[in-house]
Amino acid sequence: MVKIPTIHIGKLSFLLAILVWLALLFVDLVRIFGIINELDSGISEEFTWILEILFFFTLYGFYTYSIGKNSQGDFLNLIWRGATTGIFASAMGLLTQLFYSVMGESKIGNEPFLRNFFYHLNFAFTTLFLISTALLWKHLILYQKNKQVVKQWQAFEFTMLVAMFFVFFNKNNFDYSFLFGLVILLIISIVLSGNLKWIPYLTFKEKWKSILFLSIILLSTGYLFNRLLTYGNDERFQINLTDNLFLMALFGFIFVYALFSFLVTLFNLPTSSVFEQKLTEAINFQRLSQSIQPEENEEQVLDILMDSCMSASYSDAAWLEMNPSENLTEIDQLRFLELETKKEISDWIQTQKAAQDWATGDKPENLQPLSLRLEHPKFESLLLVPLTINKVAIGRMVLCKEVRDGFNKEMINIISTFVRQACIAVENHRLLNQAILNERYQEELKIAQRVQKALLPTRLDHPDSFDICAYSNAADEVGGDYYDTFKLDENRYVLIIGDVSGKGTSAAFHMSQMKGVFHSLIQLELSPSDFMIRANAALSKCLERNHFITASIFLIDLRENSFTHARAGHVPTLIYRANEQKSEFLMFDGLGLGILRNKLYENHVQERTFHYAPGDILVLITDGVVEAKNQKGNQFGFERIKSLVEINCHKTPKELQQVLIDSLHEFVGGDGMIDDDYSLMVVKFKESES
Amino acid sequence: MLNLHKSKESHFDILSLSGEVDASNSVILDHAIKELVEEGAKVILVDGQNLEYISSAGLGVFMSYLEDFQDQGIRLVIFGLSPRVYEVFKILGLDQLIPIVEDKSTAIASENEV
Repeated sequence: MVKIPTIHIGKLSFLLAILVWLALLFVDLVRIFGIINELDSGISEEFTWILEILFFFTLYGFYTYSIGKNSQGDFLNLIWRGATTGIFASAMGLLTQLFYSVMGESKIGNEPFLRNFFYHLNFAFTTLFLISTALLWKHLILYQKNKQVVKQWQAFEFTMLVAMFFVFFNKNNFDYSFLFGLVILLIISIVLSGNLKWIPYLTFKEKWKSILFLSIILLSTGYLFNRLLTYGNDERFQINLTDNLFLMALFGFIFVYALFSFLVTLFNLPTSSVFEQKLTEAINFQRLSQSIQPEENEEQVLDILMDSCMSASYSDAAWLEMNPSENLTEIDQLRFLELETKKEISDWIQTQKAAQDWATGDKPENLQPLSLRLEHPKFESLLLVPLTINKVAIGRMVLCKEVRDGFNKEMINIISTFVRQACIAVENHRLLNQAILNERYQEELKIAQRVQKALLPTRLDHPDSFDICAYSNAADEVGGDYYDTFKLDENRYVLIIGDVSGKGTSAAFHMSQMKGVFHSLIQLELSPSDFMIRANAALSKCLERNHFITASIFLIDLRENSFTHARAGHVPTLIYRANEQKSEFLMFDGLGLGILRNKLYENHVQERTFHYAPGDILVLITDGVVEAKNQKGNQFGFERIKSLVEINCHKTPKELQQVLIDSLHEFVGGDGMIDDDYSLMVVKFKESES
Repeated sequence: MLNLHKSKESHFDILSLSGEVDASNSVILDHAIKELVEEGAKVILVDGQNLEYISSAGLGVFMSYLEDFQDQGIRLVIFGLSPRVYEVFKILGLDQLIPIVEDKSTAIASENEV
């Protein structure tokens, strides 16, 4: 397949324009040759006009393309383009004029072919200037366009198109129909020239520049129009290309729009700074309202705030002071102010009753900026602006001006808005940081939870002669309950349950200490009471003063069918006697660990030995089970546990445990939380197999 | 909810507790006892007639003063506990370390004997 080269519309139309112009030149020169030599060249005027219209079209195509591509929204650049083309076309005209004034009545001066060549050249450049500028104006007119303006422009273009072909009817005579068309086009031009929305967006400096460029365009237009009129009256040009309604109307349009723009820009100059100010304020507002990223800091927001407020109020100096808070270093920003001067003014504010009333009187959220007359060699007025977050004052900003009564209502309004926005941004930033921190704490707690779960045994040592199961639940992420089993030898097993006073993180740390102590002591194969005495001695050294631990220990001897039990302040254990079908709590003296932190503890702990029979059940619990409260404030209590065990005595430990847990939750109520750690361990003795 | 009330009866300082002592308000109880000690109390009678519940944190407060009181010769007697609250003291074994009596007159009588 043949690859078709991509058609470059700009270059193509430019090339076409040149070709058409050359054809036009050739046709006209041939005609002149015919007239001079009194020959009929047979070329009618219409042929010239068609070529002329073709020339207009190709130029229009070229400029539509090139302007649309290059300058987007840069008004100054557009006007500058028009001005340069104007200068170029005018220079061309001037050079031609100069050439002929130098030549005077010489032979070359009267050479009709050369004269016609120059005429065509000037015509080409003038047209170039007119069409390009008209298209530049189009861009300016259609800036911030609405449907109506677009329609107006389309109407104008259509009328212009008609005007191009007008020459066929009118035969280039200056008659009423010509005048009529011109007036209509001028009226449309004037209507279109009302669209000058681009002017306010120019800065002060840009306005000056555009005034300069516009005046160049006005001068060029005037000069070229003048030249055109002289051509029109010159009998030496056999064919009149320029007395054309299209060109005349374009002149009118370009001139009117340039004039309007020129005048409006000129009159806009004095108010330009206000518009610029408002635009800056809008941009500042937008910058302030963008939320701060977590990695950025508040200082940047306050920085923008200071700049915005200072420029909004034309302040000469300012400072910002933040109330020191626990999580922030004090931010103090100074602008165009010595530290000394700041101190002077600060001290002066302290002495002012109005300022004091202002700072202390109202609620922070109702505080409005306060404008004061300042007695200071340099500054004459100041504005106190409060910064408040969540009804709490977080700081203040002080703006100073060298003129008296320098802060008007509009300034104070805009400053208040800025401050509100900045405070919201700061608050959001703080909340976000807080949230991130909380997230991290949550993560840490989850880790703690996992570590603590691992402190409880996953597998409970037990022989075939009894079944065992255990359960523990913490009120918070971590808790202070502990249970474990140990196998001393084939016939001796130890059960332990413990509970640290309090709950939560501190209890969890003590629980891990308890586990360490118990694991060490268990190796010594102590009797239960000795175990407690040693445990008390060890834990007394590491527990906080107002913390204690309660624990129960059972040393089960399978040969004797007995267990030896010591209780250190722990909730008594329930034993169910299968042969009596009754249960009781094993209650006897025993002081909690860490309460008496000396030798005297030995006097407060006992141990007892009990016999068990097959089918007997031990239920070890912590106080969280007994003290669990329902909505009426009643405790779950010992009796409830007792009767539940008696009723469900035939069940396996696992089933019994589930019954107890379910009953407990049912008792506490649907969504009621049990607000203490609770654990239980159920042991059921079986018929010995030996 | 815990309400504390301090009063004096001859040379006894009476600390009346009503409501519940738990982890959230045990600090208040601790503070009250500390104040009594600073005021130079020698015999503190704790009135537990209206005490409905005491958690391990509350027990921890009484416990933490045991040694100090022994060293400084301050005596602490608790009276009027409901059976349920008394049970909590008993289970922990605190009844072996703190005199717990039935009513105020018994408490005063027992202290006057000393």
